[in-house]
Amino acid sequence: MKAQLRDLALEYSAALSEYIAKGSEAALLQAYQAGRTALAEGVGMLDLATIHQESLVAALLERLAPEASQVIVQRASQFFAESLVAFEMTHRGLKEATATLRDSNRELQHQVRSVLEEQSATRHQLEEQRRLERLKDEFISIVSHELRTPLTSIHGSLGLVSSGRAGELPPKVSHLVEIAYRNSQRLVRLAGDLLDLQRIESGSLAFELRSHELAGLLQAALEANQPYGNRFEVAFVPGPIPPGVHVRADADRLMQVLTNLLSNAAKFSPPQAEVTLDAERRGPEVRVRVSDHGPGIPEEFRQRIFQRFAQADSSSTRQREGTGLGLSISKAIVERMGGRIGFETQEGVGTTFFVDLPVAEAEPRAEEG
Amino acid sequence: MRQLRRVLLVEDDPDVRAVTDFALRSVGGFCVEVCASAQEALERAEAFAPDLILLDVMMAGIDGPAALLALREIPALVRTPVVFVTAKIQPQETARYKAMGSLGVIGKPFDPTTLTETLHEMWQQQGS
Repeated sequence: MKAQLRDLALEYSAALSEYIAKGSEAALLQAYQAGRTALAEGVGMLDLATIHQESLVAALLERLAPEASQVIVQRASQFFAESLVAFEMTHRGLKEATATLRDSNRELQHQVRSVLEEQSATRHQLEEQRRLERLKDEFISIVSHELRTPLTSIHGSLGLVSSGRAGELPPKVSHLVEIAYRNSQRLVRLAGDLLDLQRIESGSLAFELRSHELAGLLQAALEANQPYGNRFEVAFVPGPIPPGVHVRADADRLMQVLTNLLSNAAKFSPPQAEVTLDAERRGPEVRVRVSDHGPGIPEEFRQRIFQRFAQADSSSTRQREGTGLGLSISKAIVERMGGRIGFETQEGVGTTFFVDLPVAEAEPRAEEG
Repeated sequence: MRQLRRVLLVEDDPDVRAVTDFALRSVGGFCVEVCASAQEALERAEAFAPDLILLDVMMAGIDGPAALLALREIPALVRTPVVFVTAKIQPQETARYKAMGSLGVIGKPFDPTTLTETLHEMWQQQGS
């Protein structure tokens, strides 16, 4: 019995120190249980001892001479008093330990509860955020789909009328129809761009990432966009491009980014100016640059330039052609390909947009197909 | 190869139907039969004997893909090329429509002045 009580006491203090040191909930529970068992054991033992002692003393008193009984009674009560002190102390100690354990248990429960509450609040927030994100995606998707049907008939009718297929128009009418047609084209682009951006951002558009030779892609971009440059009397010229460098990209999507950057550069260039497309190897990445000699990006606009519908000056005609989504789409595309987009600009001097892409190994020809 | 002449147009939006019909007739010079629903198309397609069917995807009642399957049940139309017209131009959707045996997919909004050219190109490509 004694040995068991000591074991319990040792277990209790070891577990309690572990809880204090590590804050382990299991250790606290172990200490609590050891303490409780010890308390029950201790009380039981003392009760038993008291009964034993009392019957022993009674038996002794019966047998011994009355003169000796006085001494024995005195010794017995002294013994009991001493036992009682020890008992009291043990009892109080165990009670205190129990109380402490109960307190820390309560504290622990409290902590656990608040952690759980925090977690569930965070989860609710996250769920709410996801729900709103999904709602936005659905909304954009529905709006752009629903826009397409009326746009098909508006754009179609205006296209047929302005092409003269439905008969010759008086010059004044023709001019107005031309305006309406041009703006319906813009609406078509807008609906397309909105849907594009939503698909790229929500990840619902699959990217076909493969290794491509950069120089070839850049050359193709220059050739494909020169007709657009001609409208602004701007020449797209190649600068130095490191040969043999490959990038891991979706070729069509990268072309979309380059088209966007080149057409922006053309729109903001003075007539007869050149826009340079070049590339530079920078460690594990390659930086593709589109540089113009335009007016530069105004200070106050630089922060917002990649935001949706961000346009520095909405009264400018060259911007009315765009949807205000080009750079947002470019940014989303570049980031999906593991790259980065940015710019350097100086007012009155020009702007350089750059795209940093991870360099890739050349893909063996045999794997293509 | 046979010339593309007879086009069956199935489109439930009246305005889009009118514009497409106009483009097919006046730009393309096609002989056009117009249906406002898949049900109408199923009733009239065999008698019209089209060279090509232009089928809207999102229609009330029987939609485009279901209409394609139903049209294929008509022996005379088993091989008639079908081109889908859709506002849903997700790449995976396009792939699904192609897999269903359609000749091609045209996204809305399309340019009616070049619709004829697009259809002729698709017509030339079949079997090649």
